[in-house]
Amino acid sequence: MEVNAAEGAKGSDIPAGKTRGMLRVKESILKSIWFLCAIFAVVTIFFILVFLFWDGYPIFAQVGVWNFITGMTWNPTGNPPMYGIFPLIVGTVLVTIGAMVISIPLGIGSALYISELAPAGVKAVVKPAIELLAGIPSVVFGFFGLVVLTSWIQVTFDVPTGQTWLAGSILLGIMALPTIISVSEDAISSVPREFKEGSLAVGANHWQTISRVIVPGALSGITAAIILGMGRALGETMAVLMVTGNAAIIPSPIWNVLSPIRTLTGTLGIEMGEVAIGSTHFHALFGVAVVLLVITLGVNLMATAILGRIRERQMPTGEKKKNLLFCAIARSGWMGGVRNATPWIGAVLLTGLMFLLSGAGAAVLTLGMTGGVITTRRRIPPRLVQKIAFALIALSIVVVLVVLGIILWDIVSKGIGYISWDFLTQSPRDLGRAGGIFPALVGTLYLVIGAIAIALPLGLGAAVYLTEYTREGKITRMIRTGADLLNGTPSIVFGLFGFAFLVLYLNFGVSLIAGQITLALMVLPTIIRTTEEALKTVPCSVREGSLALGATKWQTISRVVIPPAMPGIITGTILSIGRAAGETAPILFTAVVFSQRFLPTSLFEPVMALPYHLYILATNVPGAQGYQYATALVLLMLVIAIYSVAIVIRYHYQKTLHW
Amino acid sequence: MCLCGCTQAPADVHGNPASTTTGGIRSITVTGSTTVLPIAQSAAETYMDDHADADIKVSGGGSGVGVQAIGEGTADIGMSSRELTTDETSEYPGLVVTTVAGDGIAVVVNPANTVNSLTLAQIKDIYQARITNWKEVGGPDKVIVLIGRDSASGTRSFFTEMVLEKENAAPTMLEQNSNGGVLQSVAQTPGAIGYISIGYLDNTVKGLDLLVDGNQITPTVANVKSGQYPVSRPLLMITRGAPQGLSKSYLDFILSPDGQKIVADQGYITLN
Repeated sequence: MEVNAAEGAKGSDIPAGKTRGMLRVKESILKSIWFLCAIFAVVTIFFILVFLFWDGYPIFAQVGVWNFITGMTWNPTGNPPMYGIFPLIVGTVLVTIGAMVISIPLGIGSALYISELAPAGVKAVVKPAIELLAGIPSVVFGFFGLVVLTSWIQVTFDVPTGQTWLAGSILLGIMALPTIISVSEDAISSVPREFKEGSLAVGANHWQTISRVIVPGALSGITAAIILGMGRALGETMAVLMVTGNAAIIPSPIWNVLSPIRTLTGTLGIEMGEVAIGSTHFHALFGVAVVLLVITLGVNLMATAILGRIRERQMPTGEKKKNLLFCAIARSGWMGGVRNATPWIGAVLLTGLMFLLSGAGAAVLTLGMTGGVITTRRRIPPRLVQKIAFALIALSIVVVLVVLGIILWDIVSKGIGYISWDFLTQSPRDLGRAGGIFPALVGTLYLVIGAIAIALPLGLGAAVYLTEYTREGKITRMIRTGADLLNGTPSIVFGLFGFAFLVLYLNFGVSLIAGQITLALMVLPTIIRTTEEALKTVPCSVREGSLALGATKWQTISRVVIPPAMPGIITGTILSIGRAAGETAPILFTAVVFSQRFLPTSLFEPVMALPYHLYILATNVPGAQGYQYATALVLLMLVIAIYSVAIVIRYHYQKTLHW
Repeated sequence: MCLCGCTQAPADVHGNPASTTTGGIRSITVTGSTTVLPIAQSAAETYMDDHADADIKVSGGGSGVGVQAIGEGTADIGMSSRELTTDETSEYPGLVVTTVAGDGIAVVVNPANTVNSLTLAQIKDIYQARITNWKEVGGPDKVIVLIGRDSASGTRSFFTEMVLEKENAAPTMLEQNSNGGVLQSVAQTPGAIGYISIGYLDNTVKGLDLLVDGNQITPTVANVKSGQYPVSRPLLMITRGAPQGLSKSYLDFILSPDGQKIVADQGYITLN
C-alpha cells in the first residue's frame, strides 16, 4: 500500500488550495486503479472463454453442437470414436445436486449455530475448526474417499462397487461446507443487533427471531455462500475423479445414487494428461470444458438474477444505501414470502441430514413427514418448534465436526509415525517412498505466497471499487458476474488456461510464476466476494460521519471503512490460502515437477509442491502409503500454521472493534 | 556447456528454464507418462548421486503431456508409454525416440477371487459385458466390476488393441486415471477386474495367468521378456533431435547395465 505511505507523507506544509487539487487528482487516480482491478476479473473470464472456444471449435464443427451435447456415448478412442457428452452433463448435474442437498442444510445449520447458539468458548473452537476443513486439500479428500468412503458405501449398501454418485456427492458436499458456513456465518453475524433485540422485545422467541428476522436479513449473504459452495462443487476435479468410478453412463433409474457416474471435470482430469495434442480427442476435451463453463455460467447467472431480485425488492426506488434499508424491509411484503419459506428451509435441512445418515429412501420419507408437519404447524406450540429447530441446528454442527474428526483422525493416526526431522528437511528418495519432502514444502510456500501477493491487492481493489465507488448498475453487475463466473470456473480449466497462455504463449515455461498467476486467478473471486461482504457490513453512518468531517473518499475508505472490515477480509484471505495451498489441478501443467534437486532460484524455474507430491504418491507409487499420509499431515499442519496466524490477527481486530 | 534448449532462439532460454547452466549446475526437465516415471525418477536419483553438478527434474502428467512438452520445448526429455501418433509426428518433426525399457500389462483381480487364469477371449468377453458374473468363468457368484484406464491412457490403448482387438469396452467400465488408481480400486473391490503395468503389480491384488494355447502364462518379468506373455509394449523417452549434453549422458546411463538394473528393480522389463 504505497498509496497509504504517500498520503501519510503529505504534510501540513502544502498550501490548502494545492492540497485540495492534488487530493482530487489522487482520488481520481485511485478510482481508476480500483476500476482496473475490478475489470480484471471480467477480462480474465473473457480470455478464458475465447481460449476455450478457440480450441473447442473444431469438435463442434466436426460433430455438430447438438450431436456433441445430446450424444449418449463418450468413447473418443473407440472404434468408431464417439463424442457424445450427455451422460457427462447428467453426471455433473446429479453430483452437484447431491452435494448441495448435503451441504446447504448442514452449512446453514452450522452457520446459525456458530453465530446464534454457540457459547463464546465453543465458537472460538468451532469456527477455526470449520476453516480448517477448507484447508484439507482436494487430493486428500479424494484419497480418503477412495480408501474409506467407497469401502463403507460398498459394504453398507451391499453394491458391487462403492465408487458411486453418492460417494462423489458426499465428498463434494463436505468440501463445499467450509465455504458455505464461513460466508453464511459472516452474513448472519452482520445483521444489526438492533433487529434481533427489537424482535425479542416484541415477544418473539429466539427461533422466531432467527427464522423471521435474522435469516431473511442475511439472505443475500447466504445466497452468495451457496453460489460459492456450488462453484466449488461443480468445479472440483481431483476428489471427484477418484471416487465416482468415471463410467460414462446415466444412472438407471435416474435417482439411483448408488450408480457409478462420470462428470465433465472428471473427464478433463483423467484424459487431458495423456491425450495427443491437436487430435480430435484433444479438441473434444476442450469442447467438454466449454460446455462445463457454459453450465457454470448458467447456474451463476441464474443465482445472480435471484440475488438481484431480492436486492431490488429490498430497495425502494432511488434508495441506494443498503444499510438504511432494513427498516424498510421489515414493513414490506417481501418478509412474508420469506417467512413462509423458512419452514421449508428447515425441511430441506432435515432431509439432507437423513440423506447423509441413512440414504435416499429415508430422506424421501423425512421430506414427506416434515412436509406434513409444516402444513399442520400452526397447532404446534412455538416453544416446541424452537426445541426441534435448535436440536436440528445442533445436530448439523455435530455431523460436520464428526466428519472433520474422522478425516483428521485418519490422516493423523496413519501419518504421524512417519514424520521426523529428516522427513521435513531432506529431498525425496526412491520416488517418495523414502527421504523427505523439503523441496515440496518450500515450493508450496512459494506458490501460495506468490498467488496471494498477486490476488490480494487485485481482489481488494475490485471489492473497494464495487462497494465504495459505484451504484448498482450495468458495470457493477458485469464485474460481479465476471467474478462469479471466475469463481465457478473449474480449477482444471484454470490449469489448462495457464498452460496454454502462460506456459506456451507467453513462453514462461513450466515455472513458479506461471503457477502463482494461475492460482491467483483461481482465488481472486473468493477474495473479491468476501471482501465485498465485509465492506458492506460497515454501517453507512460511519462513512457519512467521516465524509462530514472533511475526510476525502480515500481517507474514509482507508482509515474508517477498511479497518473494521479487516476480520472479514482476513477470513476471505484465509479461505484463499487454504485453497491455493491444496489445489493440484491448476499447477499440474503449469508449475510443478515431481522431483528436483535444488530449490528454485528464480520465478522461471519449476517447483515441487506438496499436493502434487501427494497426488503422485497416492496414484502412482505403490507401497508409499505411510509417506503419503505423512505428506498429507504435513500439508495440513502447514495450513493450520497459516490459519493460526490469521486467526490471531482477526481476533485482535475483533477485540478492538467497537461501533 | 550449452545444452540443446539453449541453441534455440534467445527467448527460449527464458521459456526453457530446464536446460540452463547456472552456477556450474546443469539442469534438465523430464516429463510425461506416469508409467515411465518410476524409471526416470529412480535413474535420476542414482545419476545425481554420482554427478554433484546435475539437476534432473522429473514430472508426470501423461504420455500426451510428455510428447507435447518435448515438441513445444518446455522439457528436455518427454516420456511416453505409447508410440507417437501420426498427428504428433507431423506437428513436431524431428523428435527422436529412445526405447528405455519394456512393459507387460497384467490383468488383475481382488486377492479374494478364486479365479486364477483366463483366456484372452474370456477377458475380452468380460470387458465387453458378455460375461458379467464370475461364476461363468468358474469363480464365485459375484457381479464383475470392470475397471479400466481413461480413454487417453497409453496403457488403455494398448489393452484395447491387444486384448479387445480394437473393439469398445462396455460403457459400464469404471475408469481410473493411473495405474495406482486401478490397483487401489481392485484391491478394495471384491468383484473387480483391472489391468495395470506389470511394474505396479504387488500383493494387494492377484495377477491372473493368461491361458495361451493351453499354456498357463504368469505375468512375470521373465515371461514378458521371453515373449511368452503376449501383452507387452516398449516404454519411450523422446528428445528433440539426437540427445546432447546432460540429456545424452542421462539417457546413456539408463541404457547402461547400471541403468537397466534400475529398470529391473522397478519391476519393468530390461532391454535385451
